[in-house]
This record gives sequence, structure tokens and C-alpha cells, in this order.
Amino acid sequence: MADAQMQPIIELKDISKTYGQVKALDQLSCVIPAGATGLLGPNGSGKTTMIRTMLGLVRPDAGTGMVFGLDIRSQQLDIRRKIGFSPEDDCLFPGVHGIEFVAYAGELCGMQSSDAMQRAHEVLDYVGLGEVRYRKVESYSSGMKQRLKLAAAIVHDPQLLILDEPTNGMDPAGREHMLQLADDLATNKGMSLVFSSHLLPDVESVCRCIVVLSGGKLLVQGDIGTLKQIHSGSYELRLKEAPGNYVEHITDAGCQVQINGEMLRVRLPDGLAPEMLWRQAALDHVQIRHLRPQRSTLEEIFLGAVERS
Amino acid sequence: MPIAEQGYQHWSGRLSGHAWRWLAITHRGVQIQFRNRFLRYVLFAAWTPAFLLVCMLSIWGLLEQKSKWVSTVVQFLRFINPHVIAQPRYYRLDVWRLCYGYFMHVELFFSMLIVLIVGPGLISQDLRVNALPLYFSRPLRRIDYFLGKLGVISFFIGMVTILPAVIAYVFGLLFSLNWHVAVVTFPILLAAVTYGIIICISAGTLMLAFSSLSRNLRYVALFWLGFWFVSGVVSDVLISGHNQQLRSQYYHSAPVLQPSTGAPSGRLLSRQYWRQFHSYQFEAQLHDWRPLVSYTGNLNRLGNKLLGINDVWLKLAKLEPNRWRRSFLLMRFGGPWYPWYWSLALLTGLFLGSAGLLKWSIRSFDRMK
Repeated sequence: MADAQMQPIIELKDISKTYGQVKALDQLSCVIPAGATGLLGPNGSGKTTMIRTMLGLVRPDAGTGMVFGLDIRSQQLDIRRKIGFSPEDDCLFPGVHGIEFVAYAGELCGMQSSDAMQRAHEVLDYVGLGEVRYRKVESYSSGMKQRLKLAAAIVHDPQLLILDEPTNGMDPAGREHMLQLADDLATNKGMSLVFSSHLLPDVESVCRCIVVLSGGKLLVQGDIGTLKQIHSGSYELRLKEAPGNYVEHITDAGCQVQINGEMLRVRLPDGLAPEMLWRQAALDHVQIRHLRPQRSTLEEIFLGAVERS
Repeated sequence: MPIAEQGYQHWSGRLSGHAWRWLAITHRGVQIQFRNRFLRYVLFAAWTPAFLLVCMLSIWGLLEQKSKWVSTVVQFLRFINPHVIAQPRYYRLDVWRLCYGYFMHVELFFSMLIVLIVGPGLISQDLRVNALPLYFSRPLRRIDYFLGKLGVISFFIGMVTILPAVIAYVFGLLFSLNWHVAVVTFPILLAAVTYGIIICISAGTLMLAFSSLSRNLRYVALFWLGFWFVSGVVSDVLISGHNQQLRSQYYHSAPVLQPSTGAPSGRLLSRQYWRQFHSYQFEAQLHDWRPLVSYTGNLNRLGNKLLGINDVWLKLAKLEPNRWRRSFLLMRFGGPWYPWYWSLALLTGLFLGSAGLLKWSIRSFDRMK
């Protein structure tokens, strides 16, 4: 299973795409493995163009690409058979029921109408829209519309699911539901996932890998766990009660302290070990509840990469 | 919070090939259109001429058999030349051609009306709700999309042209009680079906091109109405003006045409001249380009050619003893008389233009939001 997850499903090499004067993709090369991958980047970074290139909807000016071993220039239809795509926009036909919408999506993929209808019932149950399947789509809430698009994207049981901003405009409960569905599909159902979003916590909660784009170029790519490297000499620390003079004392000892709410970020000077923090806490009669080496957050990785670019 | 009451199941079915993928779009489009009550009324109304066609072909079949059932009906057919009534079998093909010609002429109006009801939203609505990603992110080519949309229009036009033509043909055969009739009249059916297909393709492509130009289906409907009605009205005005001009020219040139008659009586002279005027006018119509301005006029001209309507009127005109009467008959009932390939060229150009416009307006995701 682990080997299968490491197999690349998307390989792009030196892909360039220009719209007039704007370079949407600039010699982009990346390899996306099976599993859940987050696609991050500021507005206009080329995420959507990259997705469209993978779907074979946009013909790149230069470069080559393979999706599931199929050429993005010549085998677009075969690629799209293996992919489910949930676009960012609403794009729902008015006047049709939810069940009709999903069944139609299945028929467009090549499913028999009876199969598509049966499958539509199944996936609507799965995404939690079973009770409203006979309601007109224009009466759905934003969260329901996102789940309906997800149902339409997975109706033909694709190997790869591409979600473009799937939690946009959703309330916290709906967002949580959508993330759970995406995570379940990627983790338990063996479906690879490309999750494009501006919301870093969403990406972090679902994806194992990230690809960060900016200006059409690849900035960072890799396993989230690996990218969140440990900062030597920096620690995250939380006390049971108010710190009192504790912060002042460790600062006097040469530590750099940054207070983030209840959390203290402490950078020890060279030559000092973290035991010093324990000793000082004992002297000041404060209780340490949490002490661990500091790791970069996804936000820091993202912002750092964008700033470097 | 449970994410699902029923777990996700993998689907093990097979996806079909690409060849008939457009049919899914047509199928869904037709289903949605049938929910329109007004469209159902129009379809119902459009079948009335089909009923008359069936009646006429059946009556002619009975007339050929000299059935006593039609003896009472014959008195209502006095507008038809007695020679024709006397030899129903000899004139069978001609009568069938004329019946189909009139039927298709009426159905052309209903076809345009149906295109007006069905067509405007086909692409326009997809553009408005930004639904194109739903199609093109799936294994679907642009040609499949266009064929699917064209199929929706074609289905409804076919319902009022091709389907009733076939049903009327079957009824006509059944009432003639002679299977030899099938062999003789089959080209008429073929011509009617071909004409129906031409209407489907021409009107369908044109409407899709209009529909791809705007996100507002009211504008699209106005485009279509303008193209259909305005082109017809402009053509009629041009023809009418031209006829007036011909009449005036003819009137002023009358003494030159017959200088030796002496003109004993203005009224008598006028009648003679006006009788000859029909021939003069008919000659002028043979190369008159003005009917080309009308979109439906062009479709009509092709229908006339396919069904051989003008040939029938030429044949029937020979039954008339007077030359001026023959010309009058040809002008009154036959025509248009300009070369049919003019219309074919114009409609082909219109089709190519529409296809080009479609290709341009929905080029690819490169141009989409």
C-alpha cells in the first residue's frame, strides 16, 4: 500500500502556458504521488491552469505531461474518464433535481442511464444529501451545492478526485463535513486527491503532500511532515497558570521569548539545554504543561516559500 | 458527526465509448423541454396539418380505388382540375408531392416556432450558470456537446416534420391497398425526410450560434425572431416593390410592345396586356434574387426542389389551354422559380458561418472564466 501511494500519478515537465502577456505556467515541473495532495498558491499563481492542464482542457505551449501514464496532449478523454473534477464555481443547472444533476453527470461520463441513476442515489447518500435529492438544486445551500458537486465528481468512481476550493463559502459545520468526506475518500477509499484551496488548515487536515505555486512556478513540493522541520533550539511551551516573572527570568538567562496567547515560543541561546526551562519553572513555582520542539506551521512554509520567490 | 449513513461503494461498471456520448445531452435536454407546457401545446397544434395530410393521402387512395366512401368527398375537391380527379392513379405522384409540399410549408412555420421555444437557452443557459466545466471536465469533446444540443432541436423539429411525414406515408400506402405504390412514392418520403433533416441542421446550427452569443436567452430569442421574421418581411417588401416596378415598366412599355393593335378600347387592351403581363412577370421571376433574403424562403426553395413541387405545377399548367393562364397558375401556386442552388449555396454559407461562430465562441477552457 505504501509503495502504491508513492507511485506518481501526475508528472508534469517544463509545462509553460501563456495567456497573452500573462505567463500562467512557467516551465512548471512536478510529480504528484498517489494519495492526497494540497495545491497551494496565491491568486493568479497558476493553480487553476495547472488543474486544467492535467485535465487536458488547456493545451500547454511547451512541455510534456502524463496523468496515470496518459499523455495530456493526446489522451485527454481517457484521462478525464479516470478523473472527477469539482469546480470552484456553482455551475449547477437550474430547474433540475439533485438526483437528476448527479445522474446526468454520470451519463456524461459514459454510464448507462439506469446505472447512473442508481449510482447517483448511492453517492448522494454518501455525501449526506439523500434526504434532499428530489429538491431543485437552486434551493440548496452553499454547503449542499459543494457536496452536490462532489457527488457529481465521484459518481463514476474516479481514481483521482480534483477539488477546486471545495470549502469556499461554507459554514464551519459544512466545512468540517466536506473535509471529512475528502479525507475519507483519500484515506479509506483509495481515491487520490488533489485539493486546491487557499485555506491552509483545510489542506493540512486532508493532505499528506503539498505543492506550492507562485507566478506559475513550483516553489515547494513535498510531504507536509518533512517540510515542517524541527527548529533546533526553539521550543513551544505552555504553562498551567499565568507566567508571572517566569518570562522575565528566562529572558534574563538569554532566551528569546515570543508570547502567542497561552503559548510561549522560546529560543534558547547556544549552549543552553531545555532542562534550564524546567529548572527555572521550579524556581518560579509555575507548572509547565506542554513543552516540545518547535516545528514550522504550514502557514510558515507557505509564506516563507512565497516570500522567497 | 457521521459523514455518511451509507458508506461509499466502488463502482465496477463499464463506461461506454465516445461515439454516442452526445445522446446523453440530447436525452436530458429533451426531457427538460417536455416540461414546458407551451411547447406541448405547439407540438399538438403542429400535428393538425399532419392529420390533414393523412386524410388527403387516404382519400386519394380511396379515390384511386373508386371507393363509394369518397363519392361524397369528391364534390369538395372541385378546386382540383377535373382531369386530375378523373385520373387519380395517373396523377397520384403529383398529388402526393403537392400534399407533402403544403404540409412541409406549414410545418416550416411550426419548426421555426419550436426552435424559438426550445433553442435560446441551450447554450446561453450553460454560459449563464457557468456550466461548461461540467461538460468539458468529463470525457466529452466539443463536437459531442454541439451534437447533443443540436439533437435537442432536431428531435422536436423531427417530431413535426419527419415523424408525421413517415406516418402519413404509411397511412397513404395502407389506403391505396397496392404495394406497388410504395416503390413509386418512396422518393417522396425520402425527399420529405431529407428536407426535414436540412431544416433540423440549418435551423439548429443557426440557433445554437445565436445561443452562444449571449448569456441572456431573451436576447437570443430576439435574434432568432429578427432573423426569421425580419428577413421574411424584408424579402416580401423587396418582392412587392419589384413587382410594382415590373408592372410600371410593363404599363409604360405597352404601346411599344403592341404598337399595331390600334388600341380600340383601353379596357380591352388593358386586359390583353395584363394577361401577357403574367408571362412577363413569370419570366422575370426565374432570376429574381429577392426571395433569397428570406431565411424560410430559402428553406422553402430547397423543399420545393426536393419534393419536385415546381415540376408538378409545370405539369398541371399544361392542362390549361391559355398561355397567360398557365403563367398565372405557375406564379400563383408554384415557385419560387429562381435556381435552387442559390438557396443551397446561401444556406451552406449560413451553416458554415454558424459552425465557425460556435467554434469561436466556445473555443475551450482557455477563454473561460
